[in-house]
Formats: sequence, C-alpha cells, structure tokens
Amino acid sequence: MYGKKWILLGLLVVLTLVASACRAMTPTPAPTTAPAQPTPPQPTAAPSEGPVTIDVWFHSGRGGERDALMKIVQRWTDPNIRLNLVELPEGDYNQQVQAAAVAGQLPCLLDFDGPFVYNYVWGGYLIPLDTYFTGDELADFLPSIIAQGTYRDGRLYSLGQFDSGLAIWARKSYLEKAGVRIPTIEKPWTGEEFNAALEALAALPETEYAIDLKMNYAPSAPSEWLTYGFSPVLQSFGADLIDRQTYRTAEGVLNGPQAVAAMTMIQGWFQKGYANPRAATDDCFTSGKCALAWVGHWTANDHIQAVGDDLLLLPMPDFGTGPKTGMGSWNWGITSACKHPEAAAKVLKFILEPENIKTMTDANGAIPARISVFEADKRFAPGGLLHTFVAQLKAGWGVPRPITAAYPTITAAFSTAFRNIADGADVQTELDKAVDKIEADLKANNYYQ
Amino acid sequence: MIEKTGQRWRLRFRTEGLKETLMAWLMLAPAAIGLTIFLIVPFLMAFQLSLTDTRLLSPNPPQFVGLENYRQLLRIHVIWMEPLKDPATGEVQRDEQGQVLYPRPRTILRSDPRYEGLSELAQVHLFGQRFLLAAGDPTFWRGLLNNFYFALVVVPVQSAFALLLAVLVNQKIRGVHLFRALYFMPVVVPMVVVAVIWFFLYNPGVGTINAFLKAVSLGRLGPFNWLGDPRLAFPSIMLLSIWQGVGFQMVIFLAGLQEIPGELYEAAEVDGCNELQKFFYVTLPQLRNTTIFVVVATTILAFQLFTQVHVMTGGGPGEATMTTILHAVREGRYQLRAGYASAITVVFFLIVLAVSIVQRALMREERAIE
Repeated sequence: MYGKKWILLGLLVVLTLVASACRAMTPTPAPTTAPAQPTPPQPTAAPSEGPVTIDVWFHSGRGGERDALMKIVQRWTDPNIRLNLVELPEGDYNQQVQAAAVAGQLPCLLDFDGPFVYNYVWGGYLIPLDTYFTGDELADFLPSIIAQGTYRDGRLYSLGQFDSGLAIWARKSYLEKAGVRIPTIEKPWTGEEFNAALEALAALPETEYAIDLKMNYAPSAPSEWLTYGFSPVLQSFGADLIDRQTYRTAEGVLNGPQAVAAMTMIQGWFQKGYANPRAATDDCFTSGKCALAWVGHWTANDHIQAVGDDLLLLPMPDFGTGPKTGMGSWNWGITSACKHPEAAAKVLKFILEPENIKTMTDANGAIPARISVFEADKRFAPGGLLHTFVAQLKAGWGVPRPITAAYPTITAAFSTAFRNIADGADVQTELDKAVDKIEADLKANNYYQ
Repeated sequence: MIEKTGQRWRLRFRTEGLKETLMAWLMLAPAAIGLTIFLIVPFLMAFQLSLTDTRLLSPNPPQFVGLENYRQLLRIHVIWMEPLKDPATGEVQRDEQGQVLYPRPRTILRSDPRYEGLSELAQVHLFGQRFLLAAGDPTFWRGLLNNFYFALVVVPVQSAFALLLAVLVNQKIRGVHLFRALYFMPVVVPMVVVAVIWFFLYNPGVGTINAFLKAVSLGRLGPFNWLGDPRLAFPSIMLLSIWQGVGFQMVIFLAGLQEIPGELYEAAEVDGCNELQKFFYVTLPQLRNTTIFVVVATTILAFQLFTQVHVMTGGGPGEATMTTILHAVREGRYQLRAGYASAITVVFFLIVLAVSIVQRALMREERAIE
C-alpha cells in the first residue's frame, strides 16, 4: 500500500516537472500584429528610473570591422544608456537571430545582412525607423541605403553604415606579363576577354590559379557569399534569381537558357583549373598564387597591405547584357521587442554619425553610407584605389538582391545549387531544383502576402 | 504474545520495504526525470508539431494539417516514361548511339497536376521500359539510404578494427599504456574539432593527406578532391568517423579481453592450439556479449551521423553525404519549416526503433543457443 502511494507521488512529481518543462519550452508565438503601425512615441525613461541598458547584437565580421565597432562603442558617453554588446559569429548569424526571434529573445538593436531585413519585417520583428529620423538626416544617406531599408508601405526599417562594393582585384604586373588588357568602366572586359584572361593568367608560372573566387567562405551551402558574389553573373547574362515583376516564380528566370549558360561558364572555371572550388585558405591572392580576386570591399586593407602599388581594382566584366555588380550590406534595425526604442534609436543615430561611419569604412574599405563622409574620402575620388566601387554604382551596374520576404529561401536555394555546380553537378538539374525549392516555399507562405 | 511479536516483525518489514521503495525511486529519479524532460516530452511535442504547418518566424498562425507532412515526406509515385516520338513520323526518337530518348523528368512531373510537389528520385529500367521514381521529398530518401550505407560499412569495419587494436594493446609489453592512450585520444576530442582538423587534412590544395599520397607514390597519386568528389566524399566521412570512434570500442573490447580467464588459454595450449586457433576458438566466443554491446552501440551512433557532415560538407556535393538528421535540421533551421522537420524526426525515430528491435531479437536468439 505504501509502495503504491510512493509510486503515485513519484509520478506526480514527474508530471509537475513535465508540465513546467512544457510551459518553459513552448515557443513564444510570433507577434501577429501588423508591423507597419507607427510606434507611438513613448515617454522616455524618467531620470529617476536610472540608466537603461540597450542590448546590441552584431556579426563579428571580417577585416577590421569588429575592432572598428569596438572603437565606436567606446566613444559612447551617455551615462543614461548602457550598451551591452554581444558579438555572434558570422557563419550562422542569421540562424541565431532567427532562433532568438522565435524564442522572443531578440535584443533592442541588431545588424543583419542586406536583404534579410524583409523577412524580419514580414515576421513583424522590426519597427519602422522613419519616426526617429528626420528627412534632413536621411537626405545625407546614399539612395541605395535608403532603398535597401525600405519595405512594406514604403517605410524605412533599416539603415547601414556602408554600402558594399564588389569588383575584381588584380596584380598589375601579372596582367602585363600575361598580356591582358586592363579594363575600364567605359570599356570593361567582355565575357570572352575575361575567359581568355583567366586562361592566360592560369598559365603564368607564378600562379596556382588564375582567380580566387573565395570558395573558402562557402565550404558548404547555404552561404550568403555565393549569392552576393555570383548572382551578378546571372544578371549580366540576362537571367536572375526570381521574376522581379511578380516575385511569385523563378521558373524560366533562374533555370532558363541564360542562367544555364552563366552557371556552365562558372563551372568551366573550376573544371579548367582557373579557380579552386575547395579553397581552404584566404590568402591565394595576397600570397601571389592567384592573379585575380573576385571579392568585396572587406578585403581592401588586407590587399593594400600585401600587394601595395601593384594592386588594381578592376570593374566587373560584361557577359552580354551589361556589367553587373552586387550592392547592399550589413544594416541595423530596432526590434519590436525593444522596451526603449527611443534609446535604441539614439544609439543607432550615434553609430551612424559621420565620424563613426568613417572609422568603420576606413577599416573595411566599404562605401560610406553618408554622402558627406563619402565625398570627403580620397580613396573613392577619381584616381583613388577604391573609385571603381563608386563608379560601378554610379554607372548603374548595381543590382539589389531580391526585395522580398522570401529572400532567405532564395539565397539558400541558389547558393546550394552554386556549391553543387562548383563541385561538378549538372547545371540544369541543380537550377531546376533551386526553382522548385523557391516555388514550394512561396506557395507554403502564401507568396508572403 | 506471539501475535504481538508477529505484528512488530511485520511493521519492521513494512518500514524496510518502504525504505527500499523510496530508495529505488530516488535512484531512478535522475534518469527518469532526465529521460522525461529531454526525450519523452520533446518527442511528444515533435509529434504534435508534425501535425501542423508551424513555420518559425512566420506571422501566420500555425494550422492543423493532419497527416499532410507525412504524406509529402513518404509519397512515392512510379511513372511509366513514354519515349520521345518524332511528331511527323510518330517514330521513337534515338540519339547517335541508338539509345531511346526520353523527355526530361521535370517536364513529365510539371505536365500533370496530380504530380504536383513531386521531384525525381531515380529512373529505373525494367523489361525494356523506363520508369520514373518520383518522391515528395527525394532528399529524405537519399539521406535515409546514406544512413544505412554508413551503418553497413562503419559498424563491421569499426568493430573489427577496434578488436584488432584491443588485441594489440592487450599485449604485455613495455609502453603499451602509451599506445592505449594514443588510440583513445580522438574519442576525447569533440567531433566538431575533429571535423575541422580533417577538413584541412582532406583539402586538395594544402591538405596533408594528398601531400602524403603524392610523396609515397612519387607523384603518381592525386591530388584527390576528397570532400568535393561525390564518389569520395562519403567514404572520406566514414574514414574520419571510424578513426574518431574506434578508441571507444577498443576500450570496451579491452575490458572484455581482460575478463577472459587465463586457464582457458592454458587449456587451449595443452590441446595444441596455435595462436590463430586460440583467437578464433577462445577469444572470439568469450567476447560475444561484448561484441553484441559494441555492435548495438555503434549502430545507434551511426544513425546519429550529423556533426561531421554538417561541419565538413553540408550534405554535399550534391546529396552525396546527406543524412536524415542533417535534412531535418536543414528543413527546420534553414527553411524554418518546424512542422515538417518534426515529421522527419518522428519517422526517423520509428525507423531506428525498428532497427533496434530487430537487432535485439537477433541477439536474443544467440543467447538462446547458449
């Protein structure tokens, strides 16, 4: 009899534990309220409440980005707002933010890679910023930065310190030795010229590979680099990641003849040995084993240091329908979970102050997001090393990544296809699979209406 | 008087019984609570999730969809492929080698609304006809197949290798402890670290393995693209998994070896057994229970294959190293389809459970022979 009672009691204890575990484990439901509502200005924290703490999350980026942000944060002096900086590794950054969003653990202020902002807005996790910034303040930002942060009802949800630049880094001496013409914005390489250049540069005794395509960023897919770095090739061939008229299908766009031609050419670069599909190290270009490097602004300082006066920054080639390059970069937003959005906006404004933007772009070589900073920077002026980035965008070569909440799926599908094609898979089959994945996701989410 | 004593005795017995039951529950509690919180409850929650279309981050509330996730996961159609015909003559089209030409599978699947949501899994030739196997989720089947392939190769090879190592380090020679420690070391290193190190070892450009092969073959072998070649990638993963896990089995075998009474070997010697006969007729039979444990444990570990492929290949190239768990994580974490990913894990749990039950049944039989 006693035994039975104890069994019952034991079961009861277990059940209570289970029940409490259940409650603890139930994911916080996503906010279902429309996110586009302007947040009514709340009274700022009364001084008597003491200082508020703003949690700030950011990706620990490449180059000197992290050190630069640390430097910026150390300049923060407001005693009423304490900053709690949390740095997360870039590789899985988006997944970590998503997990936090699902768990209701988002910080006040965080950064995210370019087009991921639309999915967060769709999910209701970000609040509009335009209530905190005046028109005059926003007028100083590059149009591409404003465009990147604008979604749903034309409201602004994110602002970045910089825009990105994607072009081809080269060693001048190698080009001259291989007899390769140095392209200009007015007369960029054609596709044929570029392929011939790769062949000639691969044949140089100094090089192991003609070009570093930074496949070390993407040992496995999904990887944002592959989408950012190589969707401009698709677009220059006349293809794209998704039909931008409707944002409802990718059929015929991502797997049409132009897309197949583009990806077949890239596969050829790996198969002919012009590029290493399984690069493990980051130093192919800086060590001189690669003649070219197809990579963004963030390598600028490393390249300047390693290559010195021999360094060139060349514009993207024209593969048929005009040269194209990537644009958009990491940008900041304030979450709907934030209890002190005014304080967070203050911090964001501080991060976007000209002096702080300059600290960042000096470190990472990106295009400063504020026109005043950008015009004062000699590196971007005509004749400056990084002028190519600006000239490309001014020439209208920049193509924003798809402006849709489906972006996370699009980039996962495309970069997986790219990774497999680089490893030798059938181009048409892989692109078809990517299209199927994108369409299934669009359908499952009711086209993100 | 007698009655009283009896009562007292019964009372004492009762309190002792109570104490024992209490102790038993106390001893059981940590495991029971842990299993309940971390195994049973999550499984029930996964089952519940698998009946909905729950998506992470979505502003749309989850809907109950019944068995729809399971239907998509397990759906397989066999479709007869009609050869391409010349529209003018009605003749079957052939390529230069005289092979019959067929339409692309995707064209077939997109032509009929009944096939919506299906993708190509494989094409099979049967009785001179070609059939298209189309599945709702070809990746799942590929992952499952890989799991079985991995278990089928790794379990026997790793167990045999572990036994060999155990016999070697069971010798009574000097410095044998050093070898034991060395062979066991990879087990102590977390799999993520092992995976990252081997990722560099396998690199076609700067990797040590290619450099070694090149050196010993005087430049004739390699360079091999270990993780990038669909034929080599999965065997490469198996090799490192065996290397990492073998030390654990070795230690268990070693314990088994040291349990074997020396008299048995002496008796065998008296009977005129040579070393090989001693191994096959004394060592192996004596190790049977140990072997059973090693095989069952290795099988379960083999089905859990995730870390190596997640870190090193992400399931690629193509789907050469895809596994079921990796697929579930991808669907849940990258595609944010929590409901569907849960359905995968529930099905996979049932499959692994079935494998374990079959194994147990087979091993019980062995015991019955004894």
